[in-house]
Amino acid sequence: MKGKKIFAGLGVAAALTFGAITFNSNAIADSARDYISVVGSSTVYPFATVVAEQFGKTAGFKTPKIESTGTGGGMKLFCGGVGVQHPDIANASRRMKKSECEMCDKNGVKDILEVKIGYDGIVLGASKKSSAMNITRKELFLALAANVPEPGGAESVVPNPYKTWKDINPSLPANKIEVLGPPPTSGTRDAFVELVMEVGGSEFAWIKALEKADKDKFKSICHTIREDGAYIEAGENDNLIVQKLDANPSAFGIFGFSFLDQNGDKIQGTPVEGVVPTFEAIADGKYSVSRPLYFYVKKAHVDVIPGMKEYLKEFASEKAWGEDGYLSEKGLIPMPDDERKSFSKDVQTLKNLSCGDL
Amino acid sequence: MSETNIDIVKQGLEKRYGAEKRFRIYGVCAIAASLIFLAFLFISIGTNAYTAFQQTFIRLSVYFDPEILGDTTNKESLASANFPAVVKQSLLKMFPEVQSRSEKKQLTSLISSGASYYVRDMFIENPALVGETVQVWLPADDDVDMLIKGHVERGVEEGERRLNNNQLGWIEKLEKDGNIEKRFNKIFFTTGDSREPELAGIFGAVSGSFFTMIVTLLFSFPIGVAAAIYLEEFAKKNRWTDIIEVNINNLAAVPSIVFGLLGLAVFLNFFGMPRSAPLVGGLVMTLMTLPVIIIASRAALKSVPPSIREAALGVGASQMQMVFHHVLPLALPGMLTGAIIGMARALGETAPLLMIGMVAFIVDVPSGFTDPATALPVQIFLWADSPERGFLEKTSAAIMVLLTFLIAMNALAVILRKKFEKRW
Amino acid sequence: MDTNMNPTMLLLTILFLSVMGFIMGKRRSYAVANDAGGVSELHSRPTYYGSLTALWCAIPALIIFSFWLLFESRIITDLVISSLPDQLQNLPADRLNLIVNDIKNIVNGNISSVDINPSMVAAAEHYKKLNSLSHASLTVIVIAIAIAAMLVIQRTINPKLRARNHVEQMIKYILIACSTIAIFTTIGIVLSVLYESIRFFRVIPLTDFLTGLEWSPQMAIRADQVGSSGSFGAVPVFMGTMLISAIAMCVAVPIGLMSAIYLSEYANRTFRSIAKPLLEILAGIPTVVYGFFAALTVAPMIRDTGAFFWLDVSSESALAAGLVMGIMIIPFVSSLSDDVINAVPQSLRDGAYALGATKSETIRQVVVPAALPGIVGSVLLAVSRAIGETMIVVMAAGMSANLTVNPLKTVTTVTVQIVALLVGDQEFDSPKTLAAFALGLMLFIVTLILNVIALVVVRKYREQYE
Repeated sequence: MKGKKIFAGLGVAAALTFGAITFNSNAIADSARDYISVVGSSTVYPFATVVAEQFGKTAGFKTPKIESTGTGGGMKLFCGGVGVQHPDIANASRRMKKSECEMCDKNGVKDILEVKIGYDGIVLGASKKSSAMNITRKELFLALAANVPEPGGAESVVPNPYKTWKDINPSLPANKIEVLGPPPTSGTRDAFVELVMEVGGSEFAWIKALEKADKDKFKSICHTIREDGAYIEAGENDNLIVQKLDANPSAFGIFGFSFLDQNGDKIQGTPVEGVVPTFEAIADGKYSVSRPLYFYVKKAHVDVIPGMKEYLKEFASEKAWGEDGYLSEKGLIPMPDDERKSFSKDVQTLKNLSCGDL
Repeated sequence: MSETNIDIVKQGLEKRYGAEKRFRIYGVCAIAASLIFLAFLFISIGTNAYTAFQQTFIRLSVYFDPEILGDTTNKESLASANFPAVVKQSLLKMFPEVQSRSEKKQLTSLISSGASYYVRDMFIENPALVGETVQVWLPADDDVDMLIKGHVERGVEEGERRLNNNQLGWIEKLEKDGNIEKRFNKIFFTTGDSREPELAGIFGAVSGSFFTMIVTLLFSFPIGVAAAIYLEEFAKKNRWTDIIEVNINNLAAVPSIVFGLLGLAVFLNFFGMPRSAPLVGGLVMTLMTLPVIIIASRAALKSVPPSIREAALGVGASQMQMVFHHVLPLALPGMLTGAIIGMARALGETAPLLMIGMVAFIVDVPSGFTDPATALPVQIFLWADSPERGFLEKTSAAIMVLLTFLIAMNALAVILRKKFEKRW
Repeated sequence: MDTNMNPTMLLLTILFLSVMGFIMGKRRSYAVANDAGGVSELHSRPTYYGSLTALWCAIPALIIFSFWLLFESRIITDLVISSLPDQLQNLPADRLNLIVNDIKNIVNGNISSVDINPSMVAAAEHYKKLNSLSHASLTVIVIAIAIAAMLVIQRTINPKLRARNHVEQMIKYILIACSTIAIFTTIGIVLSVLYESIRFFRVIPLTDFLTGLEWSPQMAIRADQVGSSGSFGAVPVFMGTMLISAIAMCVAVPIGLMSAIYLSEYANRTFRSIAKPLLEILAGIPTVVYGFFAALTVAPMIRDTGAFFWLDVSSESALAAGLVMGIMIIPFVSSLSDDVINAVPQSLRDGAYALGATKSETIRQVVVPAALPGIVGSVLLAVSRAIGETMIVVMAAGMSANLTVNPLKTVTTVTVQIVALLVGDQEFDSPKTLAAFALGLMLFIVTLILNVIALVVVRKYREQYE
């Protein structure tokens, strides 16, 4: 009679399944959103979550839900439209693109507030076990670009011939060039290319001249990173990069400042143009490899989703993003005073972002 | 004399016995290799994880200063009363020599920023404490925790530590006085996510995974078994069933993130279900595990000898009776195996959840199928990606919790399998 | 009885009524049979009369129940909206949706964002009233239908009623419905990637995608970047997938198959019952764990071993990822194969032994061929899992797409690229992101072809016993 029992069991399970569908469809119909929904960049995620947690524990509202979807995915969701099923805020590790703003506009997301929250330093790090090495952006460009200016001095590019750091500059060690960094899909990579590779490339006068004359060629020289194994696309897990550096002292890694901050006993920041990447150096602009982080707010939601105004106020308070704020504890580099003031005014007045400004 | 057959056989015997022995040894080696590997993984996770089950606490004499708290009769204002100041004040009292502003800040950073919530909850529970002094163990900051647990060397240079020499000195004094102690980490098992390692807990993710798995199990097992029965026992073998078979095999190879895309398009956009809900996660996981269960169930059904079927039909059972009364019970162990492997995969999967919004920071513990929730592997993934050193051990501990779930699930399957397994 | 039940209670009530129907149907059939001269006079066994009643009692009620709940909220919302003041009603649809959210927040006692104004409170009250009215009528209707169905079937029960055939037919329909879900899933998947893929192929010609030997989505084609283009040749990515899957299968198939054979043929019961679930745990360990293990333990080990033999091993190698992935999928081969081997009839083994075969000969020449379809099925599942794996590859093999078959080099796989492209920071409409959909579609087609080949091959070589 075992069969019968199974038979009955399956029957009941099927009924329960069926019931579960209908029951839940009902639950969905009844539910209403009483929390803030945030989507976007995985780089902003560690900072936005701190604010959300503080907000949730002190303000008497539910803790906002913060998804880590990547900037692009976040923008797509954010610009999907106005309404409870769409997120209220999008975090971004770069500025909103004009095309994204237009997509928002098309879908009825007309009023958007833009808030810059601070800066994220991008550091080049190496294991503590290796000897410190001072490096310039020009050298980094020569080490990592797919095509570099012909070493003889002619104004043309050749596939990158450099195998060791010594090949580039005799004062550097004879270690194999091995840099772990983000893949081309990552915003960190975009920022690195813009802040290091472009600047490094522009040290060559003829490449700099290209920037005006033939922008596409300029970009294709500066933006293309070599793919012959010297630059290793390591995925977005910065902790893994840190641990790989620890295991492989001759390698370098490109990652966010907060990871250096947390792993000071294992990893050293490599000075770029003689400036060691420290909190202070990044904050006062001496260390120039840093990029702004943003979030975007759907203004139509501000009055209808509980806690929106309070969340914005919390984010834009000195206690959060100020120089001694809790975000700086987590490794976010604060904006200069006047910039902070101007953005906190924007938050108060809910200044509108117009697509033309992007 | 010519060789007899038996001689020929005898000549080859030694070789054949050797082959027999080798074959057996291969088997033992294969199992040993997998088990050794499993043990290795467990040990390496365990050694990282065990410290997370303890947490550093600091004992403070908390004085509920009426001046700081203000109006304590009003519940509303109490929630936003300055409890952080109460905690800070009591810590500063222990080190009267600390005077300068920057030193004070360094000292108060030794205690977790979440400590004030515990003090607040304690006070709200018992408002009569106003004006009293109470001894409380409060969680220490994660930097202190890492130091006490030895994950951060004390010997390294000042600039390379997160704690400076002053702070180290205070910690040593606290240690000497017995005011700092490692205790069982209840927080880890009872709370949701947090960005402070010392306050982060696994319970939210466990609940999320639980709800997701319930949905997955409820849907995928009955549907999978039913589909397998139909395809294997009732459907006519023709081109159409071939298409279905290839199709199901093919679904098993679809990358899990594509199932996430499907879930986004169908469940969220078409049916309008809420984002980040375990219900949707469970449904996506159901679609993902169905092929595995169907394939395993079909293999199990196939392996029931035709004689059983013929015997049942021979005594006059209808086809349906033959299947449900005789074939199904014999095929059940194989079906359970499929279900377990499928569920295990669903339990450890992150990628499809990304598209439907379950890779998220969610502090509040979900209490139903439609509350925003995350899942255990997602929590592991998010913690593994966090800069704070304290999350390293938390990651391993969360993995241990996940494995415990997995073992419990497997144990259940073993019991069921034992009940149904038969050899003939 | 309180007529205003919540849906869970109502669901349980239906189940209860259905059980009642079963009992009553069974009783009724006995009663009818006694009148006609004993149970043997019935067409079907009494249980079937019970089941028939139960099914008829539950299914129509459940269908109405689900449809009601599906449309209830929409209708109630519309009604509430139509009772709102005019200036609110004239808002655009999405703004109105936010207002409704607010009303629902008030109903549920959640914190609401705006100062609660009287018209909102009134709307909330209205909503509440309609909601309870709807639930009450649903309860009445569903219960009435269930009971009516029960009574009707009761009336029709007679010895001639072919209850078994009816029940079996109904069950068969349920089974068919379940088996079509897989088809719908496929259609859904194709549809959800097709649109974006077509958009991708508009920018990048299909031939470039299929035959291009370089995969480097470094430079997206953006509005501000006219002229420069990334290369989207899918060959290296697919090669990488094949390479890593092949390495994984080289680990998983021998170990898994030998484990399965040992467990089912040699091991004693206790060992088997312990070892098998232990192996299954390997399949459930989160891939992040394997990823860390592959990246931090296996990869440096391989690099150092390689350096010892003067081999140039990249610190991210396909070999490391493949090996670890192979270990992860062992249980797919071992457990499923073990089940099918175990189910090979003992008579086959006894026959082989009687002919003087040793155990291993029996296994190799009789048992494994007999179990072949199941074993192939399990191997196919394992391959599928290997193809779909992301995390291990990202962490241990990196993301650079090299066109190589050298396992010591860095490669990347299709799924890694899909995930990276989808969760990256670039715009969602850029070819980079769209490439993810195209890759998904291509992978779908490639695995489909492989599966067809596998089906044909299995057909050809399978040996049917008994």
